[in-house]
Amino acid sequence: MEYLASNKIAIVDLATRDIMEEELDDDLVLERIGGAGITKSLYDRFADEVPIVLGTGLLTGSLVPGSSLGVITAKSPSTGRVSHVPLSLDAGMELKYSGFDYIVIKGTSEKPVYLWIHDGILDLNDAEDLWGKDVWSATDHIRDLMGDDLIQVLGIGEAGEKGSDLAQICINYWQSGDRMGFGNLFGKKRLKLIAMRGMGLLEIAEPEEFVEKCGGLLSAVKSGGAANIRGIAAMAAAFGEEDIEGWLKPLTHKHMACFNTSVPTNTFVFLDEDPALLKETTVKEPGFLLTDIAPLLALKRLGLTAADACHVLKACAKFGIDGAAVAELSEKTGLTDPEAIKGSLPNLKGPASSSGDAVFSPWAAVGNQEKDAWMRRQAVAYIFGLHPLFALMAPELNEEKLLDISSLGTELELTQETLDEVIADITG
Amino acid sequence: MKENEPCNRSDDKGHPRIGIYTGRGTSHSWLWFAEVFDRIGFFDLAFLTETELRGDALDRCDVLAMSGGDTFAIAEGLGPEGADKVKRFITHGGVYIGSCAGAYLPLHSSKEHLNLFNFVPAKIGNLTRTLPEARGLREKFCTAYGCAYVFHPVREAVRLTTNGFAPFKKAPSLDAPLYGGPPLIAGGSAQVLATYSGFTEKTVFLVDRKLASDTLLGKAAVIRQKIGQGYLHLYGPHFEHPRFTVANQLMTDAMLYDLRLDPVQIHETIASEEIISGEACRNLLKDIKREISNARIVAVGLETLPVQWTIGNKVYETAKIREFIEPVWRRIKPLEKLNRMRLLPGQAGRLLQVASETTALLREVKRDLKSGIDTLYKAKDLFERLNRTSTLFLEIYFRTKRMGNSGIQELRD
Repeated sequence: MEYLASNKIAIVDLATRDIMEEELDDDLVLERIGGAGITKSLYDRFADEVPIVLGTGLLTGSLVPGSSLGVITAKSPSTGRVSHVPLSLDAGMELKYSGFDYIVIKGTSEKPVYLWIHDGILDLNDAEDLWGKDVWSATDHIRDLMGDDLIQVLGIGEAGEKGSDLAQICINYWQSGDRMGFGNLFGKKRLKLIAMRGMGLLEIAEPEEFVEKCGGLLSAVKSGGAANIRGIAAMAAAFGEEDIEGWLKPLTHKHMACFNTSVPTNTFVFLDEDPALLKETTVKEPGFLLTDIAPLLALKRLGLTAADACHVLKACAKFGIDGAAVAELSEKTGLTDPEAIKGSLPNLKGPASSSGDAVFSPWAAVGNQEKDAWMRRQAVAYIFGLHPLFALMAPELNEEKLLDISSLGTELELTQETLDEVIADITG
Repeated sequence: MKENEPCNRSDDKGHPRIGIYTGRGTSHSWLWFAEVFDRIGFFDLAFLTETELRGDALDRCDVLAMSGGDTFAIAEGLGPEGADKVKRFITHGGVYIGSCAGAYLPLHSSKEHLNLFNFVPAKIGNLTRTLPEARGLREKFCTAYGCAYVFHPVREAVRLTTNGFAPFKKAPSLDAPLYGGPPLIAGGSAQVLATYSGFTEKTVFLVDRKLASDTLLGKAAVIRQKIGQGYLHLYGPHFEHPRFTVANQLMTDAMLYDLRLDPVQIHETIASEEIISGEACRNLLKDIKREISNARIVAVGLETLPVQWTIGNKVYETAKIREFIEPVWRRIKPLEKLNRMRLLPGQAGRLLQVASETTALLREVKRDLKSGIDTLYKAKDLFERLNRTSTLFLEIYFRTKRMGNSGIQELRD
């Protein structure tokens, strides 16, 4: 695969420490397009070896608006189904530029390990020093060790290490869209984290026309209905959820977008610093990045203040546990005191319905959306590498246009028929 | 002077063996020479330290390229033995190409160490006892020169006018970047090949524009001096800067024009050389790539920190680190495609060792900077290791590129 790809698939056996590399064949792309289409295919190929498959969409990391998504595909410990969770923020983009299109992780390591993926090199290193650290400390440790603060980290905390079905793979310091308990899979494999940094380049088959069309898509999105949405609270309201803007506003410091996503879907709140501060803070842990709407709404329903809710979610992120599950189980057990909720994390057990009943993480299941349409749109987002929430907000990025720009970027004839087949397979 | 003669020496004599000085006092700009020679297909390059230059390395060279850097440190590093070797090399028919610091070096001087290199009776045109007011980039504005100062009126691209004769007849005018190189006042039999004639949109003024004009315009930017059987070509601006292709062409034309008729033996085969290919080559390149990638990642992160170091008479910003790394990084992929490398025993091991030490040092510097610890000594060590890493890699790279169809049997696969 010459264009929009690094042309490399890694197969890592944690048991033997063998790392094999394969080329990303054009035929595989013609048959499965990319993203979840290919991670599912790779999952099926290695299904007997309990694989975790990481990948990026065909357009991830490109100039197509919203092209921020990476995907992890594995069998969910929570639902027992092969499922897909999103890698948002800069993690998907970083994976794309790290020199690998897909990474299959199979087997179980005898001792804690981590993967260091950089510029087409994949190193499997011992993680004895990292095991036992919370998500934040582990992220700090690996960034300090490798000497770069831009390294993107997919890591687990105590929840994953101790085998909780509610364990989450976090992105850097923050909660991710992993509602499927994939953090538990990392823990079982003794895989503490995956650190990624890539400064590679993507070749585009028809670069001038591709860039021109991306500009057109951006203009269309910017004049669409989502153009004025800023931050997680506004987004919740836009999807018909409870309006929590007033509740959250006193803590709101800034809104942050995922890579190349024109709608900022995340909000950074200051908990131990003045939210109105307009210069670099000197406080070590000034606040928290809110990346997931559902747990925020659920904690508000429990009667928590915005600050208490954010403190709880911060504790969840450090512990590496799904905040939505924590909120749901707290509600079930009648816990409404934030300290009590935080204290319950080590012993919290499911099941929780926060995993949903679909193959895609319900992270982007906000508001009351028609299920089949939601599933199809999620499938499209996970195949092409679009931010799953942004994809819902930007109907301008329709299937025809995505196929057209993908063919332009790759020089491959990708058809609606193929897309339909791939969607049917991954949602089936 | 040989004016209006065709520049066809390359056709007559084949490719010259070019020594590039990479030792004490050089900046990253020696890598620009390597880049330009690589582009035009001159692969017979030798990267010479001060020790090698003081030895017999120049006996096997047709050309010596002396890059920019710290002139005083270069002169001190080479010492009397090095000065004698360089002079002997030129008088016996070698071509000396001096750029920036390499152009200052052979000018007449009474200063200690520099006075060993009084080869060319030209004067420095930017010498002053009273410093003018600096308008910008104060840290790069001047260098102490005994009781006086060498000051730099502008930086970046300036306009030059050539004399229109061979070896500079291909372009009547051109742009080339000035990074502290001299305006020259030619004397004796020196031939002026190009003069400073104007400024460009990219020119950055470090002093008042009128003073900059008075200091630079009309003065020699490039001179050519014959000594014995050989020539010195002294360039104030960096004609070897890879982004200035017209300048690159003229510099190469001049080099070929003055190349001696009886070149040194080139393409020598060393019995212990080995060629690796297939999996062995892939694995070695992966190991090299791992180390260079690790270093590159830290280097990019360092560029966000507001720090610079003064080492000797030169100011180093963090962005300079990648000037050493990128030329290596860019050449890994072509070697991967070739999947074959020619190298001397132990060469790969030394490269991997130094590259690994470089990465470790980069990470230490980053940690120290974040902790507010002074990093000057570590930075000095770092730039030496970066220099060594680039040199070791490029030695293997050009040795491999020289392989061509030399017919050497593969020793292992």
